[in-house]
Amino acid sequence: MSRLKKFIDRADIRRFRFWVQLSAFILFVYGGYLSIDLGREMPVFICGYDQEAAGMCYFMPLQHQLARDWERLFSAAGLGVLSAFAIFLLWFIIFNKAWCGYICPLGTMQDWITLLRKKIGVAYSNYTQSQYSSLKKIKYIFLAIVIIFPLLMGAGLFGGEWRAAFCKMCPGRLITPMFVGDFSQWSIDFSSNTAIFLTAFGIAFTILFIVGSFVKKRFFCFYCPMSAMHYIFSPFSILRLKKEGDKCTKCGDCYRVCDMQIFDIADDVVSKNILRDDCILCLKCIAACPEEDALHLDIVNMALFRSTKDGFAKRMGVDKERE
Amino acid sequence: MVRFFKRESGDLFKNRFFGFIFKNRKFVFGLQVVIALLFFYAIYMGFYDSSKDNIFTTALFWGIFWPFFIVTTLPTLGRVFCGICPHGFLGKYITKIGLKRKMPKWLQNRYIGVMLLFIGWWGVYYVFPGVYRTPLGTAILFAVMTIVAFIIYYLYKDMAYCKYICPIGTALRAYAKLSFTFFGSYQSACADCKTFDCAKSCPYALSPFNFEKKKSMGDCTLCMECTHSCEAIRFRLTAPGAAIYEKFKIVKEEVWVYILILAAIPISMAFHHGLGRSNISEEMIWVKTAAWAATLFDAGNFNLTGLFVFLYATLFSVAAAVVGMAIAAKIMKKDFSTTFYTLGYAFAPLFILASFAHAWEYFFTTNSAKIVEGMAWGFGFDIDVDPIAKRGDNWLQVFHLFRWIAVAWAFYILYRRFKHIDASRMRKIFAYPFASMLILFFIGVNIYRDYVLETYGRKTHHTHAPQKHQVAAISTIKEEDAKHIWLSDRVPLHEQGGPGGMGQRGQNTRVPQKSIYLLGGDFSKPLCVNEIKGRFFVVDTQNRYKEVKPVKKHGCLSVRFDTPAVGYYKVYYIQESAVGTKIAKFEFKRYDHNSEEEYSKEKMRAKTIKEVPFDLLRVRPDNETFYSMPATGDTVRFLVLKSGVPSPGVTVRLTTQFGWNKSVKSDRDGVASFKLIKDYMPEWSHFNRRFRETYWVEAQAENGGKIDYIVAQERFGRSRDEYSSSAYALIVAIFLLIATAGGVALYRYRTNRPFKEVKFDE
Repeated sequence: MSRLKKFIDRADIRRFRFWVQLSAFILFVYGGYLSIDLGREMPVFICGYDQEAAGMCYFMPLQHQLARDWERLFSAAGLGVLSAFAIFLLWFIIFNKAWCGYICPLGTMQDWITLLRKKIGVAYSNYTQSQYSSLKKIKYIFLAIVIIFPLLMGAGLFGGEWRAAFCKMCPGRLITPMFVGDFSQWSIDFSSNTAIFLTAFGIAFTILFIVGSFVKKRFFCFYCPMSAMHYIFSPFSILRLKKEGDKCTKCGDCYRVCDMQIFDIADDVVSKNILRDDCILCLKCIAACPEEDALHLDIVNMALFRSTKDGFAKRMGVDKERE
Repeated sequence: MVRFFKRESGDLFKNRFFGFIFKNRKFVFGLQVVIALLFFYAIYMGFYDSSKDNIFTTALFWGIFWPFFIVTTLPTLGRVFCGICPHGFLGKYITKIGLKRKMPKWLQNRYIGVMLLFIGWWGVYYVFPGVYRTPLGTAILFAVMTIVAFIIYYLYKDMAYCKYICPIGTALRAYAKLSFTFFGSYQSACADCKTFDCAKSCPYALSPFNFEKKKSMGDCTLCMECTHSCEAIRFRLTAPGAAIYEKFKIVKEEVWVYILILAAIPISMAFHHGLGRSNISEEMIWVKTAAWAATLFDAGNFNLTGLFVFLYATLFSVAAAVVGMAIAAKIMKKDFSTTFYTLGYAFAPLFILASFAHAWEYFFTTNSAKIVEGMAWGFGFDIDVDPIAKRGDNWLQVFHLFRWIAVAWAFYILYRRFKHIDASRMRKIFAYPFASMLILFFIGVNIYRDYVLETYGRKTHHTHAPQKHQVAAISTIKEEDAKHIWLSDRVPLHEQGGPGGMGQRGQNTRVPQKSIYLLGGDFSKPLCVNEIKGRFFVVDTQNRYKEVKPVKKHGCLSVRFDTPAVGYYKVYYIQESAVGTKIAKFEFKRYDHNSEEEYSKEKMRAKTIKEVPFDLLRVRPDNETFYSMPATGDTVRFLVLKSGVPSPGVTVRLTTQFGWNKSVKSDRDGVASFKLIKDYMPEWSHFNRRFRETYWVEAQAENGGKIDYIVAQERFGRSRDEYSSSAYALIVAIFLLIATAGGVALYRYRTNRPFKEVKFDE
C-alpha cells in the first residue's frame, strides 16, 4: 500500500493528464461510433450538436426543461427536471472540478492549442490581478443566461428563439461537431433578429476562443458557466483539494504553474479547502509544491495525491542530478 | 441628546430621499392628513351609498389598504403603515387631551386584538361570506373600530389601543420581524447619553435607545417622533428577517398570531377556495360535517361549510403546531413552553409571503382595474379600465413561487431558532422534523390542493361563456360535390387552420390522442365533409389496422384514436362506388424526446394494408429519422402500389399549399420523385423557420374498368439554407479572426512590459 502511495506521489502528473485528456476526448467526441451513451447530464461541454458524442452537456437539456410552460414546470413534470439534476450532481460529485481539467473536450482543446503555441515559441499572456477579479465574474452572468432566459421564456416573456440561448452563443456548439466533420453549425441564422444576434455572437465567441486560448492558457474557462455551476455544488463533492496553511512557505510555485492564475493557492494560508471557482483541478499545483504534504487531493478525507519533497525532486529531475 | 451624528451607510436616514419621506414633518403630516381624509371619506361613502354602485369604499380598504399598506410593507420595509395610520395619527392628539389613565390589567391583553382579527374578521368572513365585500359592511366595521379606538385613546395613556386592542397591532408587530429594516439608535452615541430625549418624546412610552440591545423594536409604530428629538436614531437596512433570528424577549401572542392567521387565511383558503372548488369537494370532511350539521338545525344565512372550513383549518393547524412542538420538546428534554415559543417564530413567513404573492397576483389580474375604477368613482368620474394582466397569463406563475420561498425561509428560521435552545446536537436533529410539523402541513395542503385540482379538475361554473370553437359555424360540403376529398389533422376553422396541429397533448389523458378530419373541396378552400358513404381505417405503428367509426368534433367529422407508441400512424378513408374507389390518406409520425425508441430501417419503411386497392407510400430516405422531416430542396419519393404491387407509368401529381403543382409518371419501380421547391416567401420579418408547408399528392389509375383515385396529405419543413448562411458566417469569422489576432499582435508589439515578480505578503 505504501509503495503504491509512493508511486502515486512521485507520478508525472503532466504525462498522466495528457493521456487521460486524450482518451476522454476520444471517448466523448467519437463515443457515438461505438454506441456509447453516457446520458444527457454530463457536467462538461460535450455538445449535443455533435451527432456522435458519447454524452450531452447538461446545459442543453437543462435549458430545454426550464423553458417549459410554468404550469408544467411547477407541476409533477418538474420532477423530471429534478431527477436530471440529481444525475448531473451524481456525476459531478465524484470528480468535482476534475471534469474541467481532465475530461472536458473544450478544455482539452485549449490545452492542445497551448501546446501548439509552445511548439511555435510564442509567449503567453496573463491578466493582472485586478482584470482577473473583474473578468471572472462574467461566468456567473452566463450562468444566469443559462437559467433565467429559459425560465422567462416559459413564462411567456421571451420567444422560442431564446430556448437554448446559451447554446447558440457557446463555442462548443461550433467546435465539437467539427471533429466529426459537421460544419453546419458555422452559419448565421437570419430567420429573426434574435437568431441573428445569438448565432453571430456564437461565431464571435468561437473566434475569441481560438485566438484567446492561443495567447492565454485556458482562456474560455474564465467565462465558462459550467465552471460557475460546478463551484456552487463543489462543497458536496467527495474529491477535494486541500491545503495545510502552516506547511506553506508562500514560495509561489503553485501560483506560477496555475493555468487559471488563482492567487489564493499560494497566498491563502488560512482556508483548508483551497478549491476556488476558477480551479480546474488539474493538480499541477500539487505537483509543483516542494513542501511535504502542504497540498493534497483528498477523496472522502483520504489523501489520494500529496505534494512530497521526494516527488517534487523526481519531477524536477533533481534526484538524477545528485547521482 | 445628540445633535449631530455621522450616519453610516445602510442608514435610510442618510439617504436624502428616504430621510425626506420618513422624517420630514410637513411631508409626513401631509400624508397622514390625506390618508385620514380618504379613510373617513370612504366610511362616509359606505353609509351614503351602500348599493353595489359604490366601488370606492371596498377599493380603498380591500384594494389599497390591506394588500399594499399592510401585506406588502410588512415583509419589506416593516411596520411603516402604522406611521400614517389614521387611528394612530388622530389618537396622538386625542391622548393629549384625554384622561391619561392607566389601562386596567385585564384589558392589557394582546389576545383581544389577535382574536378580533382572527374571529371578528376572518371568522365572520367565512361564516357570513360577502359581508365585508359590501360597502356598508366595510363602512360599519371601520366606523365601529374607529369609535372604539378613539374612546380608548381618550381614556388610557401611552397609546394603549395600538398595543392591545388594535386587531392588526400585534399582527403587524409580529410580521414586521421579517422586514429588512431595523429601527434603533447608534449605540456609541447612546452610551454617554444622560437625557434620554428619545424615550421622553415617544408617545408609546418606549425606549428607542434600548431597541438595538434588546434586538427587538417592541411596539414601535415608526411614528418617527423620537427622530426629531435626537439625531442618533437610525433606520437601518438589515438582511431580510435578521431580527427574527436573534434572541429577544418572546411575546407569546406573536407565535399565536403566526399560527392562527396561517390557519385563517392560507389554510382555510386552500380548503375553501381550492379544494372546495374541485370536483371532489363533496368528499371533503368539512363539507360532510356541514351537511350533517344542516340536518340538525336550520342554519339560515349561516354558511355552515365556511364555518367548518374555518374550524377544521384552525384545529388541524393548531394541532400540527402543538403536537409537533410537544414531541420536539420531549426529544430535547425541554419544557413545552420554551420550545414552542422559541421555535414558533419559524412559522412567520408562511402566511405573509403567500399573502404577499397573492396580493400582487390579484393586483395584476383584477385589483389594478378595481382601484382605478373605484378611486375614479369616489371622486365622481366614471372610468372603465382593463386589468394589467389576464388570469392565467403564464408569467403570473412567478407568484406561486413565493409559497415555496416562504417554506424554505421557514425551515431556515427554524434552524436558526434552534440555536437558542440548549440541547445536544443529536437531539436537535431528531427534534427538527417534529418542530417543523406545521410547515410540513402547509406544504402538504398546498401539494394536495394542486394535486386534486390537477387530477379531478375544477368544478365548472355555469356562468362561463361557451367555448368559442363550439359555436363557430363550419361550412360543409357534400361528398359528391367535392373536387377532392382528403384527410387532415386541422379543422378549417379560420384561414390559418383551427385547433389541432400537434393536438397530442390531451388534457388529463396519459395516452396521447390524435384527431383526423375529413375535408373536401378545393385544396385552397377546405370544407368539412359531414355525410359520408365510405369507411375509415386506422393503422398503428405495427401496421395493425381496424375500422373506426367517425364522430363529430368541432362541427366536423373526425376519427379520434390513441397513439400510444412512437412511430408512423396512418388513416385511410375508402369509399367504393360503381365508378371506382376514392381513397384519402393521412400519414403522420408521433415522437417525443423522452422515448428511447430506436428508428430502424424496418420502422421507417412505408407499408400498405390489404383493404386499400391503390396506395401511395412515401419512401423515406436513409438519413431520415423520427426527429427529422423532408425540407425544401429535398426529393420526396412516392411508391405507387396497385393491389400491393408497384405500378409503373402512373401519373402522380403534387400540389403545394401555395398552389404550385407538378405531375410526373412513376418510373420502372413504380416510384414518382419530386423535388420540393421553395414557394414560401413571406415578408422577411414574418418569416417563420418552423413553418410546415402542406402538400397533397394525388394519383389515379384504371383498375378493371373502374378508376381508383387517391389523395395523401403530407407536410415539409424549411431547409436550413432558407434562413441561414454559412457564407456570412465565414466572412464574419475571418474578419473577427484577423481583427482579434491582429489586435493581440499589435498590442504585444506596442506594450513591451519588463518582467515583474509576483510578491506574496509574508
